[in-house]
Amino acid sequence: MKKQLTALGLALALGFILFGAACAPQRQARDQYISGTSAGDAETLNWILAADSASLSYAGQTLDSLATYNNKFEVQLRHLAKPVEVSPDGLVYTITIRDDLHWSDGVRVTAEDYVYTLKSLMFSDWLNFPYKGDWQEQVGGQPVFVKPEVVNATTFRIVRQTVDPEFFDNALIGLTPYPKHIAQKYEGNVKAFTEAEEFNKLTYTGNLGPYKFKDWVRNDKYVVARNPEFFLGKEDGAPFFTERIIKIFGTPAATMAALEAGDITAAGIDPAQVAKFKSKANLEVYTTPDTGYLLLAYNMRDNGWEGFRDPRVRQAFSVTVSKKQVVEQILLGFGEPAFSFLPKPSPWYTEEGVDKYGVEPLYSKDKARETLIAAGYGARGADGSFRLSDKGGKPLKLVLATNVGNKTREDTAALIQQELSDLGVEVELKLVPWPTLLNNYLKNKVPSAAGEAQFNSGPRAVSQERWDMIIIGFSSNPIAPSGQEVFLTSSGGLNFWGYNSAAVDALFKRVKSAEAVSPENRKKLYAELSRVIAQDQPVNFLAFQYGNTGIQKRVKGIEPGINMGYNFHRWFYE
Amino acid sequence: MRRYIIKRLLYTLLIAWGVLTITFVLLRLSPSSPADKYLLNLTARGQDISQVIASIEARYGLNRPIHEQYFQYVGSLVRGDWGWSLSTSMPVLELLGRHWVYSFQLILLATIVAVFLGILIGVYSAVRQYSRADYIATFFSFVGIALPNFWLGIMLILIFSVKLGWFKTYYDTALPILSLDNLKALVLPVLTLSTGMMAGYTRYTRSATLDNLRKDFVLFARSKGVPERTVILRHVLRNAMLPIVTIIMFDLGSIVFGGAYLTEIIFGIPGLGRISFNAVFAQDYPVVVAVTLIGALVVLLVNLITDVLYTYLDPRIRYD
Amino acid sequence: MKSLVSRLGGRRHATALGLLLLLGAVGLAQGWLGLTLLPPLAFFYAFLGVLMLLYGAMPLYTNRRLTAHYWRRTRRNRLAVAGLWFIVFLVLLAVIGPFFTQSPTRVNFPEKNLPPLGFTISQSTFDLSAGQFIAKETPGVWEHPLGTDDKGRDMLAMLVSGAGVSLQVGLLATGLAVFLGAVLGVTSAYAGGWVDNALMRFTDIMMTFPFFLLLIFIVFLYGASLTLIIVVIGLTGWTGTARLVRSEALSLRTREFVLAARALGASPARVIFRHLIPNVMSPIIVIATLSIPGIILAESALSFVGLGDPSVASWGRVLNAGQQTLDTAWWVAVEPGVLLFFTVLAFNFLGDGLRDAFDPRTEV
Repeated sequence: MKKQLTALGLALALGFILFGAACAPQRQARDQYISGTSAGDAETLNWILAADSASLSYAGQTLDSLATYNNKFEVQLRHLAKPVEVSPDGLVYTITIRDDLHWSDGVRVTAEDYVYTLKSLMFSDWLNFPYKGDWQEQVGGQPVFVKPEVVNATTFRIVRQTVDPEFFDNALIGLTPYPKHIAQKYEGNVKAFTEAEEFNKLTYTGNLGPYKFKDWVRNDKYVVARNPEFFLGKEDGAPFFTERIIKIFGTPAATMAALEAGDITAAGIDPAQVAKFKSKANLEVYTTPDTGYLLLAYNMRDNGWEGFRDPRVRQAFSVTVSKKQVVEQILLGFGEPAFSFLPKPSPWYTEEGVDKYGVEPLYSKDKARETLIAAGYGARGADGSFRLSDKGGKPLKLVLATNVGNKTREDTAALIQQELSDLGVEVELKLVPWPTLLNNYLKNKVPSAAGEAQFNSGPRAVSQERWDMIIIGFSSNPIAPSGQEVFLTSSGGLNFWGYNSAAVDALFKRVKSAEAVSPENRKKLYAELSRVIAQDQPVNFLAFQYGNTGIQKRVKGIEPGINMGYNFHRWFYE
Repeated sequence: MRRYIIKRLLYTLLIAWGVLTITFVLLRLSPSSPADKYLLNLTARGQDISQVIASIEARYGLNRPIHEQYFQYVGSLVRGDWGWSLSTSMPVLELLGRHWVYSFQLILLATIVAVFLGILIGVYSAVRQYSRADYIATFFSFVGIALPNFWLGIMLILIFSVKLGWFKTYYDTALPILSLDNLKALVLPVLTLSTGMMAGYTRYTRSATLDNLRKDFVLFARSKGVPERTVILRHVLRNAMLPIVTIIMFDLGSIVFGGAYLTEIIFGIPGLGRISFNAVFAQDYPVVVAVTLIGALVVLLVNLITDVLYTYLDPRIRYD
Repeated sequence: MKSLVSRLGGRRHATALGLLLLLGAVGLAQGWLGLTLLPPLAFFYAFLGVLMLLYGAMPLYTNRRLTAHYWRRTRRNRLAVAGLWFIVFLVLLAVIGPFFTQSPTRVNFPEKNLPPLGFTISQSTFDLSAGQFIAKETPGVWEHPLGTDDKGRDMLAMLVSGAGVSLQVGLLATGLAVFLGAVLGVTSAYAGGWVDNALMRFTDIMMTFPFFLLLIFIVFLYGASLTLIIVVIGLTGWTGTARLVRSEALSLRTREFVLAARALGASPARVIFRHLIPNVMSPIIVIATLSIPGIILAESALSFVGLGDPSVASWGRVLNAGQQTLDTAWWVAVEPGVLLFFTVLAFNFLGDGLRDAFDPRTEV
């Protein structure tokens, strides 16, 4: 009898434990998380050679960097043991990394590895790291590398000669080390380094990231498996998926079919499909702001229509195109009008004093006509009807180019063609493949000069093909937007439209100086930049796009926002 | 016969060399460089693009004169080194070695299905000429020929995978090649690829069988009292096979980069078709040259096999 | 002059050669001077027109009895006749249609995704300020009897202009390919020896070339224009014709009437044009008709992988755009798909009918 009671008691206890375990949030690692994409495969896992974003994101799943941002742009430490210390003069950065990081062979990750990666790989001549420029500063008109130096096993310093308030956000935050003891074997031999087994199969990543490389079937899938040693998973056993898979599809339609059928866990959704997926019981659609924006560039170079060199004409054209229509008809509501390069989530964003071209009251074709008449392009007839013409009195025919295959841009081109036809402008659409757009439209050089064409070869350079307007998309770093200078300053490397404004050049210079270290000052400078650029309209900023991601409802732990994936290692299946 | 085969093999090498050379020259004369796709990314981050392009081209030896590159490529090819794929970061041979099987199983199964059903239906509808079955078969074979196979594939996915949930929406490479699950995963792709082929074979078999049904030897065999089954199988079909084999072999040669590629895109199969077209878009020279060469070799070998098969199908044909 | 004409094999061939040379000269001069009096495609049309008139319509007219005979044989195949009528209908649609339809490129976003007449669908739009979708019942309207696409373009107008594109690609590329194939095949067969050898080896190389890969490669690099697509298909698609024509011509070469003509001192050109080409015409016509649908499908496959000419609304392009929105606007994909299907079917029917009619062995 006693025995039976004990047995019963034990059974009950066991039952309770099991029941309790079942009720507690299931945070054990299980199942695969499969995200689908039709955007194309990465090129290499040897990330220091990569120039495409897919490669960097593949490698990033096995390797964290020094830090990352959450949705509010607060710095989240990863390999850093504590926040980076900057000296009061803004020139010396002291970086302290965690002391529990190690490579796969057990060797500890030290400051030595970081300094080696910077000095001997990223800054070297033989390897040609594509993004060297992030680590250079202009000293006496020459690009010079910053100076890294080891302090002790977990601490290193980076010494600059000039102040750049956004150096941490633009470069340092993403720093990831290569193992010195392995990389040394290939030093100086770019072919051997490119083909090195350790780097191409990421066999060295130790406990540096939430996942470990498992398999990569080209053009099919990239598979990483849970890393039980992950340095952030010590307490709660993160990450909580046994495998993370990126599945590559051949067409967007195939991706959508797989998401609908539940064969994959998550995928980006086209605006037109959002309504359908919102009604699915097993899916949650997250709409988040994106850093990408759409713009209409005016050619101010010698081979564009001369009218665009007059800011009044640019304003008149911007006043003609409704941004509300772009957002509603083309982005189907998933976006918002843009008035400068600053996205709304950026801490520097302001609307104060910024002209809102393309939105009423600054969306008015009558206003456009008046401005054009004032600028000398066109006149009113006896009956009051408006006739647009160039300086010679001939009707206006302009070329609008964009790359083929991007639906948003093609649609926007059609919309702008329609809007401008109301002014009497005949717009010829040129939809060309991406390489053609780059080489024949965006690259330019002085006609008689020798050498390669670049994206900005000076004020007298022109592109091979004649164009007047181009629709293109860029993305802006909300926390460190000073990188936009490449588009907008007269010597900026991507200023292919030939914009030249002393005021804008000076403002960008000030944003990258000691003056802008204090956030209040920087905010003022960015506000001033927004106002000047919005008024001058070198380009017509059309809209910031929103991203839509469909994720199965059983995935929990998601914090919706602009950097939604920052805590991916804490996502789990219900 | 052996001398003939050796001669043909040598000839095959010659043609393959021609294809290789033409491809190589076409690729190297193209107006853009494989580094182009990085340009905007690089410039956006303030890099000196001409320097970066020069270094990327130097990394892969693209900056040397074309004849030097050509001799170096052919030289290493002869030694068995097919080069390093720029866009997938692995040796070309390893890349092809891993992916050929996905195309192969698809094409093999689709061909078997198409040949078997196509010939069966074709013979049946010829024997029962002008019957209702013949009309139905003819109708469906015309439909099959006129249906774009990428369209068919999308419809099959929407109906059988999304609406009915019978199959996965994409092909899963995690499945072992020799398993029932894998066979099941291939049902829709094989159906997509084989429909057009099957329709074609039905038409050809029907007309070839009809041609032969009227021949004197058939009448003779019948008049001798040979059973109809034997007449069809022994006499008619055997003689009708010659043009059918020609068509099948021609399809086999051209399918990898045609129908199979489109099927692979729709079903997410990472076969040779997708590998090579992605290499084209990424301007991955070593892979493009390699797949063109292999494609040409396959066609040539298939032609050779066809010609040898002829001697078995029609003893009157001899190559001496 | 007269001897030159007769050396060329008769007045008809001299006229053809003269016109073709004239066209070539105008084209070259235009390219040289940097003018565009005529768009490149117009040259193809003129080229094809000359060939069809002199080698298609004229012989049919002069040999009225034979024409009537073939027509009787073809007519007995009802499917072939139906195919022919459908093709005639398409040609009329492509030529006359654009005068009656709206502009196929006119975008009108407020009228997007209208269903065809007689259908009503529920469209939902996202209201950003309210943060939710608003469903709206949308019926088809008379102005757009076949509905509109996601840019509000008229489907009817796009399909009509697409008919022109598909026919252009099919006819012009086939014309070019068949012309090249016929010339090379006959030359090869007539000349024999090393010329034959070299030409056939070249044909072998072209045949082993992965055609679709080459097509995509060239279109990707040089930009998708209809002219380029037609030229590339034409320049690569001649191999089958060349082989067929060569083997037909080889068997003719030793026939009595050819031997007699040569013994009587006829020039090579005369033998080729007068005796060889007319006698290989029927297989050429059959192979041309049967290869048109393949080429139309190749163009739509090219559009499917995103490499169609973006400036024209070809059926393939509309179909490809429509497959992305299949569950919100099915008609965008279904309508061009149906037309494509029937066009391919029609050419196949006609080709089969012609083959049977030309083949004296078959009893229709």
